[in-house]
Amino acid sequence: MTLDREYASVPGSDGLGNVPILEIRGVTKRFDATQALDGVALALYSGEIHALLGENGAGKSTLIKIITGVHQPDRGQILLAGRPVLIRSAAEAQRLGVAAIYQEPLLFPDLNVAENIFISHQDRGAIVGWRRMFQEAEAILAELGVALDVRSPARGLTLAAQQSVEIAKAISMNVRVLIMDEPTASLSAHEVRELFKLVRDLKRQGVAILFVSHRMEEVFDIADKITVFRDGRLISTRRRDESTPQSAIADMVGREIDMLKARPSTARTDPILSVVNLGRQGVFEGVTFDLRRGEVLGFAGLIGAGRTDVGLALFGIEPATSGTITLAGKPVAVRSPREGMNLGIAYVSEDRRQLGLILPMSIFANVTLPSLRRFLNRFGLIRTGLERKTAESFRTRLAIRTPSVDVAVANLSGGNQQKVMLSKWLNTHPSILILDEPTRGVDVGSKAEVHAIIGELAAEGIGIIVVSSDLPEVLALSDRVLVMREGRQMAILDRAEADQESVMTAAMGQRPADSTNGRAL
Amino acid sequence: MNWLQRHIRPEQIRELSLLLLIVIAILVFGSLIDGYYTFRTFNRIASSVAIITVVAVGQTLVVLTRNIDLSVGSIVGFTAYFVGTLIASYNSINPLLAVVIAILLGAGLGVVNGALVAWGKVPAVVVTLGTLAIYRGVLVDLSGAKTVTTDSLPQWLIDLPLLNVVPIGSLDIRALFALALIIVVLFHLGASYLSFARRFYAIGSNPEAAQLIGLPLKGVVFFAFVICGALSGLGGFMMLARFGNITVEAGRGLELNVVAAVVVGGVNIFGGSGTVTGAMLGAVLIGTLEQSLFRLGISEFWLNAVLGLLILLAVASDAVILQRLRALWARAELKLIADAPKKGSQP
Repeated sequence: MTLDREYASVPGSDGLGNVPILEIRGVTKRFDATQALDGVALALYSGEIHALLGENGAGKSTLIKIITGVHQPDRGQILLAGRPVLIRSAAEAQRLGVAAIYQEPLLFPDLNVAENIFISHQDRGAIVGWRRMFQEAEAILAELGVALDVRSPARGLTLAAQQSVEIAKAISMNVRVLIMDEPTASLSAHEVRELFKLVRDLKRQGVAILFVSHRMEEVFDIADKITVFRDGRLISTRRRDESTPQSAIADMVGREIDMLKARPSTARTDPILSVVNLGRQGVFEGVTFDLRRGEVLGFAGLIGAGRTDVGLALFGIEPATSGTITLAGKPVAVRSPREGMNLGIAYVSEDRRQLGLILPMSIFANVTLPSLRRFLNRFGLIRTGLERKTAESFRTRLAIRTPSVDVAVANLSGGNQQKVMLSKWLNTHPSILILDEPTRGVDVGSKAEVHAIIGELAAEGIGIIVVSSDLPEVLALSDRVLVMREGRQMAILDRAEADQESVMTAAMGQRPADSTNGRAL
Repeated sequence: MNWLQRHIRPEQIRELSLLLLIVIAILVFGSLIDGYYTFRTFNRIASSVAIITVVAVGQTLVVLTRNIDLSVGSIVGFTAYFVGTLIASYNSINPLLAVVIAILLGAGLGVVNGALVAWGKVPAVVVTLGTLAIYRGVLVDLSGAKTVTTDSLPQWLIDLPLLNVVPIGSLDIRALFALALIIVVLFHLGASYLSFARRFYAIGSNPEAAQLIGLPLKGVVFFAFVICGALSGLGGFMMLARFGNITVEAGRGLELNVVAAVVVGGVNIFGGSGTVTGAMLGAVLIGTLEQSLFRLGISEFWLNAVLGLLILLAVASDAVILQRLRALWARAELKLIADAPKKGSQP
């Protein structure tokens, strides 16, 4: 994609000859093997709310980090009010009038509200004028219509109140560009309405707002323009009245389907696991599904939708607080990972480094760790020879590429680490295998191997749950796809119904539109 | 929100209850020890408190930034010994110059701690545990284990601890205690009203956010250690003045008293909150315990055990009691805010 075409896809001016307050030209950023941003061009005008949409990993966060000075672009330019600028740090971005509000506000819990509002002001002199600071903070909050005690510490404020403080902070700095990264993710409906009032106020005052959200209805409620990202590229920028949720979703998922070949189904008829109305207070609720022997059930949804939490509950790491789990016809309670293991459940974590593997330890020690009791001799000492033999068999079976099973796991590639983790849990002889992001950070070749292994395991009759943010992967592997959104189960789609658009539509909380409408652009 | 909740913050309750604890301790010891309520007792406690307080003020700044300085005892001993040796050799030295040298010497040792923590990225516990041993080791080696003796010191230094600065009736406020009070007032005002000092709180409260808005994290941490070193140097001078006889063991174990004073005084060991005045109240409680247990004939090892217990209780109460108080306050505040519009609609 050439730069010229990129420019052409963005309106160079708003038709009134105004200069954009923030303009991004041909920005490119690469992290190792990942092309995070590829020639992105975007223009933001004063008094405009511009929404960014895209799946996880589409490049929105990287773009925000570049605008706020956290990352530097490899190529490309940022212009503020027509002047090229270099933004080397978040502090510098703030000085230039660019501020960001994140999902979790970054306040100082021990400082009071007024101090939090004015903390970035370096120009208020060496001596703190408390009385004046309190008055000015009260004035800003009153203008926003927010009732807060400016003298009380920020500790203990609700998330919504903390966001009000962040907005007050932005106003106090006379920001020209305000970036809001999923500000509504943890707010109640009422709090969202209050927040949107503030955002519209800011817009009237001429602030340009870049608004990132995964909630379609919010985006179409508040945004003037909507830009969609996919795979690090800007796909489209449209005015709200020229866009529909369906067209936006179509832009988000693109047309590049069938890159992965679908796995032949090996599902049998007998359910091995039945889950009814499973929930964990405040995290997820109402999850109901059957898992059959030899079936692969995909869990799709955006990050934070609660998919991982269901997996953690099934394995007993964060036990469920409501609902029932029936395993091979018997109702069970899984209150700890030990219980989960004894019931024949295995959970392969998404976080290889933190939760999955003990990196400095050898491959064989990692493989036998959860089932170590089977490797003890009659004196309670570990039978290292048997450990090695077992690890060797997995090395052959899963094609783990290593000179020996004595090698420390830290020295293996991502794909091979993943295979060690699989070995470790297969060695507990599970009847149910939960795989959380099994191919994250794994190269293409290893990915295909892991997929093949998943197919073989299913064919052996293991019931497999695959949690993945990689939609083509979920579609290729799964017999059925369970879609979650904000802690709720949105749909269970059969293989025939499940495609990128139907899954993404459910994940974004839209009613499934009839497919012709969704595809028409 | 009741009167109490409107006027007092949970953190201040902490300081008030400490005050109450001090009163109770004095009453208890008064009933156990004959002739406890005398000015002699007060002076003894005051001069012991003075040194702990001055060093605890420096320690407070370090702890606010989520660090700790375990080397303060060694810095106090180091400066007490070397400034003592200096004064013993040059009896005619200007007293003010001697104080300045003590402060600079302490600050210099603080620079080493601060640089290693801020730029060397070594955890403060490790750095200062190392320098605790190194400074003491250097002191023992350079001194040849000789002792500074009172008779080698000039008369003004020997008289200094007895100097009565503010006589209140027949009660004396002596020089060392007065100095400690001045330091506390200065640093309390500074911490409340200097923009620069507020950064100590900000950085300890949320380092990630502090980084993001461009606060000089490393500079502030470095500065905290330097000030702590400087005040420990001053503490060393005060120890020299108080005892006259300084061995290479001077100030050994002082870090326990100082950290106890800071933590008992309500400075959060995880950084971000606490006041210099609280640290002084902590020092007063510890000084009272130290002197009173001594007069009861209880071994100093028991005193150390009591200090250890106090630290554990203080940290535990921080985690449990303060959380609950804060929750109580927050609820009262929410109610206040929820009630506000109703009042507004009835003019």
